[in-house]
Amino acid sequence: MGKLRASIPAVLALLAALLLLGRGQRPWVEFGPQQHVETVNPKLAVHTRLTDEVEPWKVQRTFEMVREMGASWVVEYFLWAAHEPARAVYDWSHADLVVDHARNQGLTVIARLGYVPEWARPPKTSPLYLDKTGYDAYARFVGAFVRHFKGRVKHIVIWNEPNLSQEWGYRPVDPAGYAELLRRAYLAAKEADPDVVVLGGALAPTLAPPGGEWAMNDLDYLQAMYDAGAGPYFDGLAVHSYGWTFDPEQPPSPDAVNFRRVELMRDVMIRNGDADKPVYITEAGWNDHPRWTKAVRPAQRAAYTVQAYAKALRDWPWVKMIATWAFRYPRPAGTYQDYYTFVDGSFRPKPIYLAVQEYAHGKGVQVPGSVATP
Amino acid sequence: MVLAALAAGYLLWGKRDVTSARIRESGVWRVGMDPSFPPFESIDPATGRPVGLDVDLVNAIAARWGVRAEIVGVGFDELVDAVAARRVDSAVSALPVFDWRTQEVGFSAPYIEAGIVLAVPRGSSIRSPDDLTGRRVAAEWGSEGDAQVRELQRRLDGNLELVLRESPDAAMGAIARGEADAVVTDAVSLALFNKNGGDLGAAGAPLRSDPYVVVVPAGSPLLLAELNRALEALEVDGTMAALRERWLGPGAGGTGQ
Repeated sequence: MGKLRASIPAVLALLAALLLLGRGQRPWVEFGPQQHVETVNPKLAVHTRLTDEVEPWKVQRTFEMVREMGASWVVEYFLWAAHEPARAVYDWSHADLVVDHARNQGLTVIARLGYVPEWARPPKTSPLYLDKTGYDAYARFVGAFVRHFKGRVKHIVIWNEPNLSQEWGYRPVDPAGYAELLRRAYLAAKEADPDVVVLGGALAPTLAPPGGEWAMNDLDYLQAMYDAGAGPYFDGLAVHSYGWTFDPEQPPSPDAVNFRRVELMRDVMIRNGDADKPVYITEAGWNDHPRWTKAVRPAQRAAYTVQAYAKALRDWPWVKMIATWAFRYPRPAGTYQDYYTFVDGSFRPKPIYLAVQEYAHGKGVQVPGSVATP
Repeated sequence: MVLAALAAGYLLWGKRDVTSARIRESGVWRVGMDPSFPPFESIDPATGRPVGLDVDLVNAIAARWGVRAEIVGVGFDELVDAVAARRVDSAVSALPVFDWRTQEVGFSAPYIEAGIVLAVPRGSSIRSPDDLTGRRVAAEWGSEGDAQVRELQRRLDGNLELVLRESPDAAMGAIARGEADAVVTDAVSLALFNKNGGDLGAAGAPLRSDPYVVVVPAGSPLLLAELNRALEALEVDGTMAALRERWLGPGAGGTGQ
């Protein structure tokens, strides 16, 4: 008896230690029952921003609110540097947390893969720098990601906005180089899971002049990708489609960046024999920063956003989904980026969230001073 | 004299305030500004030069210090980074306090209060949010004012009618049209509305404070102290009041300090 009494503190200590160990290894929130999205628009999506969201309950709350808004898809960024911190050493803990909570809320995840670890690039280069010597390492990571998430993540995006010098490691952009990166990543992904959907492009809409130092026009870049033989190595084109100060019905034009520029991207695909390939709009939207020249008023932003979702459903059968940037930041950026969000850092919904939610649930949307919304 | 104070401070602080030392040695204060936000800063189309309240403020401070102000155009989103990287000595551009950047930059005392206020017509019996029960309160849809009114509505158990409009001016105009009893908007929009013929007054303290400040590199105690002394002196001698009246209208934008 005395021996037993003496061992009680030790047992309690052991239990506490096990409890603490468990906390470190798995999310400290209950997943709860499987949820399902209710929406009138199955293309409705949003880009979440959870790369540096460390608290599991906030990851869960994010996806709960995305579901409650009426979005069926999310696009999320998965950092190669975080998930392969050393060559062939993988850490999927945060990615598992994100993917499993998204799926628990009934959401389809599109995984954007990038951000180069230090071991895969020369010293003092940008995390977006990857030269040809690192292409195979990236492709191996893509294969490992697809293998690990087989059955959970079906769509991946290869790189992001490679037509911007900044996103290409502050080097001159290189469509042929990107085409080669895409080819290797595609082959590695298909080897891991033949059913995975590989999305290429994700180009930034820009009117950069020919030979510009900082960027290449997205229409020219896409054509150059095809010229370099990229066509067979993507199952769908990821497109970014921002509206800036224009309403979503402004006609497309090669010399304008507006929401319908995606139609010009689609024309390039058709000209290159890819009429049957779908388009995934993985970034879109408007900004309502009070002092940014590319922003609109909050009411306009809400009306345009709802109209854009409705247009993708009604007029663009070749568009699979449309994700607006960005649902929430873990903390304020202190820049115009904060005015793309749908909820604030403490999950307080902005009126645009409520407007999209009303639309997604088939209710009329009341936004003053704007053209009628669906 | 202020230049002498800067020099004395330099001797005291030594190399702990390289920005102050640089200003003292060069006689030039490099100030980052994004001239796209009138009436604080914009480009005068006639001269191509920046004009506005912040421009006048920078020149008034530089004059007190006996140095020349050099305004450097920097995009709004890069202003704090530009200060942190010491590409400029300070930023004066209707900037709020970014409290999560305090390891990289410092912030002066406020020189404008641009926060969210409850505004009412002259002679209104509404003196604070406590008087809004059963009232119609306007705000710009989707703005911070909108969020504040929705919060007030919750506090009053729904006993407050929201009147949402497409812009700050339309929200304030709702009072003149008899569609609202009060409006919640930012202090700068209120000031400009009144400057253009409106006649609304703030009722009570700001619902959310949002002061504009000067941003300096972290580790610039001497520069920060001199800035705060200059701002205080400009407040005391009436210069700040005159600048606010010129650009925002009578009685607008005071920090209450």
